[in-house]
Amino acid sequence: MNKMKLISLAASLLLSLAGCGGGGDGGSVPPPPPPPPPPITKAEAFQFLNQSTFGALETEAQNVIGMRYETWIDDQLQRPASLQLPHLQSLAVPGVMPFELQDDRVDIWFRNALHGDDQLRQRVAFALSEIFVVSHIGSSLNNQPWALGSYYDLLAEHAFGNYRDLIEAVTLHPAMGVYLSMLGNEKPNPTLNIRPDENYARELMQLFSIGLVELNIDGTVRLDNGQPIPTYDQSIIEGFAHVYTGWTYAGAQNFRGASPNYFNQVVAMELHPDFHDTDAKTLLGGVTLPAGQTGEQDLADALDNVFNHDNVGPFIAIRLIQRLTTSNPSPSYVERVARVFNNNGSGVRGDLGAVVKAILMDDEARPAMHMEIDGKIKEPLLRLTQLWRAYDAQSASGRYPLLAAYIFFGQGPLQSPSVFNFFSPFYAPPGEIRDSSLVAPELGIATEYQNTLVTNYLFYQAFALNHIADSLEEDDVFINFQEEMDVADDIDALIDMVAGKLLGGEISDTLRTEITGMLERIPETDTAIRAAETIYFISTSPEFAYQR
Amino acid sequence: MAKYNRRQFLRSTGAAALFAATPGLAYSQVVGGGAPFTDYRALVCIFMFGGNDSYNMLVPTSPAAYAAYQASRQNLAIAQGDLLPISPTASDMTFGLHPSMGALQSLVDSGQAAFVANMGPLVEPTTLTQYQDKSVILPPQLFSHNDQQDQWNSLKGNNVSKTGWAGRMADLIRTNVAGQQMATNASLFGSNLFQSADETIAYVMGPQGPLQFEGFSTDPNSILFEQRQAFRRIVDAQYDTIYERGFAEIQRRAIDAADTVSAAIASAPTLNTVFPAGQLGTQLETVARLIAVHDDLQMQRQVFFVATGGFDSHDDQNQNQPGLLANISDSVGAFQLAMAEIGELQNVTTFTQSDFGRTLTSNGDGTDHAWGGHQFVVGGSVNGNNIFGDYPIPAIGGPEDVGGGRFIPSTSADQYAATLARWFGIDDEDLDVVAPNLANFGVRDLGFMIT
Repeated sequence: MNKMKLISLAASLLLSLAGCGGGGDGGSVPPPPPPPPPPITKAEAFQFLNQSTFGALETEAQNVIGMRYETWIDDQLQRPASLQLPHLQSLAVPGVMPFELQDDRVDIWFRNALHGDDQLRQRVAFALSEIFVVSHIGSSLNNQPWALGSYYDLLAEHAFGNYRDLIEAVTLHPAMGVYLSMLGNEKPNPTLNIRPDENYARELMQLFSIGLVELNIDGTVRLDNGQPIPTYDQSIIEGFAHVYTGWTYAGAQNFRGASPNYFNQVVAMELHPDFHDTDAKTLLGGVTLPAGQTGEQDLADALDNVFNHDNVGPFIAIRLIQRLTTSNPSPSYVERVARVFNNNGSGVRGDLGAVVKAILMDDEARPAMHMEIDGKIKEPLLRLTQLWRAYDAQSASGRYPLLAAYIFFGQGPLQSPSVFNFFSPFYAPPGEIRDSSLVAPELGIATEYQNTLVTNYLFYQAFALNHIADSLEEDDVFINFQEEMDVADDIDALIDMVAGKLLGGEISDTLRTEITGMLERIPETDTAIRAAETIYFISTSPEFAYQR
Repeated sequence: MAKYNRRQFLRSTGAAALFAATPGLAYSQVVGGGAPFTDYRALVCIFMFGGNDSYNMLVPTSPAAYAAYQASRQNLAIAQGDLLPISPTASDMTFGLHPSMGALQSLVDSGQAAFVANMGPLVEPTTLTQYQDKSVILPPQLFSHNDQQDQWNSLKGNNVSKTGWAGRMADLIRTNVAGQQMATNASLFGSNLFQSADETIAYVMGPQGPLQFEGFSTDPNSILFEQRQAFRRIVDAQYDTIYERGFAEIQRRAIDAADTVSAAIASAPTLNTVFPAGQLGTQLETVARLIAVHDDLQMQRQVFFVATGGFDSHDDQNQNQPGLLANISDSVGAFQLAMAEIGELQNVTTFTQSDFGRTLTSNGDGTDHAWGGHQFVVGGSVNGNNIFGDYPIPAIGGPEDVGGGRFIPSTSADQYAATLARWFGIDDEDLDVVAPNLANFGVRDLGFMIT
């Protein structure tokens, strides 16, 4: 149902109520208690769970229907994080090549994503990992799997904490230190034309906090004579670059040439005061840090300076809304969330748990509108996790070591090609989306090539990587469609079952008609093929790729 | 219960000749109109993501200039004796290439390669005083990766533009190439702004070419033909949201192009040229094979986008730069051998783009984001063994330095694009559509293409 239909329906309901009379004689009748909210439908619960977990499940939908959204969120907010590092540390240390543990890191990511009972926390951690990006692709972090596991745990543990604490933990984690070269960054040496590395200084502001141009609280760009207003210039970048000097691996004897080991890659970097610049530093908003401060003081002041910039609320609101609920939030949606960032109601700025709750509870996210621009394209990796959750995916080994996720799906856990993430928040494909000045970030990696890779993966998943397939490798992740096979002689029942698990029960007439046509060509005794065919067509359909 | 695998599935559905490659639906952009070209020309853009430190790629070796370079670069300077000498004509300076770029040196020596020095995005000619006074319009967000990538790809200056200069070229010639079986623009490295357009859509294939869809047949007697048709009808259906429609549109293009292009590339002759292993070599080998079959696809004009990353050398530059530049050099060297092998040297021009040049100063073990840098152009129609534009004395605090050894470009990316576009067949009056800021610069053609 579209918004116009809803409005006309609401209007007719109001008219019919008015027609019932009820205009009393005034004053004496106490107002009736507010009506109970309408029950949550299965489709609505699916929408909510696809925004807040790694894929809606019929069982979890029943929980949401019973608990209602807010209680479900509050329950999730207090659940502790499922972690990666303890698992990685429980494994034998590879003799020479730590990168061999990267598939175990991906494995534990999938285990937590598929089975963790802290689904909302894991989903938000994944969103944060696409904002505060580090990656083992094209980086020496490939040989530091423990650093990456530890970094991901940091994101999960701070997912509902305070943004100020989060950026400090991110800044001092050696994974970020390596990825954006703050680790080992030292004070200037003018005689050798050496000045501090600007990498982290630039990207913390551009990508993690405030962005390039000043924003209104509703996320729209502030203009001056029709032009955007830059948030910083080169002198401010250099100021922050000087702040971020003197840090390297904890416990290093020597600042220069400090190298990672099993222990120091999972704990915060430490300051070597001799390598920290102690001159005055220009920061945002005309603030100057005085000369002579310690590295810790400079860092605390600099992160406070960023944290208190007016852009952070709308910037983080837009980034998280785009990861969770919709590509094109209205300015008022952004503003409502940004105001919660600025003040959680108890005077606290930066409360990410409150921000996440505001994003999910907002009117623009919550009623299942199914409008033109509401919702988003699912990230391809989340299409996979939704399918795997719905079909109890497992492997003989119990592992999910899909290290090639970034090839098959164009993305994988901490597998971005650069700090700019798998896709840009501003990506607009040619055609009506770009022509309307709208965006669809996830379509940035939905190229003809990548979509075909995903479609083919789903083909193999349905037909070859399933519970009755023979000759599977022990790490092959297979789905279980026994329930589908049991009803496969009844085409309508089969389609209803798969649509129930993957689409919350709502399937378009076209998709049902086309699947029916194909199933009628497959003998009813070929129950596995019928089941696989149905899962293949639904999991590759545009309506499954869409998150309402 | 019998177990099932893919092979049995295919057998049971009677698809003996799965994936039989027959010409499928054409990808032509039929609009009718302009006269077809009578020849074939292709441009190959190699994008070096991250910002290539080109002041270590092309180094002046004249005594005063090298001394300035060495003083600026300190621990990042390449020893003069290690540089590979080149002798560009009509230059009053001598130069050397990074020691890992032997293949490029050979291309320069044989007249197939030229450089354009100290180039970058500009809206209008810019001096240091104007920069400091803010009395000149600058490309916004200088020194930022994605913004400057966008500048190179779109040449948008301080305007809002959602098209790239290759995309605009494809739009301009679309009526001239109406018979093409594939889009003028093809990317082997994902979607990009460079090829984005209003009227035409770039085709994105993989590094080894397009993929076929599993489980689709073009044999009308196969159930897998029905499967394909059903899949196609699903993506052709009406959808309520922009997102489903956008996704379905990509699926539709993928289905339509995969068979045609795959069949063509499968029929390409085996090349004797061996390409370097790795991302860029693989992409360029695929481009070479597609160029070899351009007649089969009735292609007259093509722009290929290939790329490789890792150039953001904030850290460990001395360790990483040799491999990065060797890969570029060796891959381009192989590509030129392949072009010679298939007789397309004159018809194919390869050129580089990168986010920005890097600081002449060091951050200890690497360099940071800057502005002007050097690019190279390779091909049989290149006015080779030359350096175009002004190569500045690489001194900190010189007349082009906005600070830290960030050099104001002396040649604009618009001029570079316009020179390539003219060779590609764009009419002179349309060059300003391709390169919107071209009119602000006196020279419309840098002269590195023989036209």
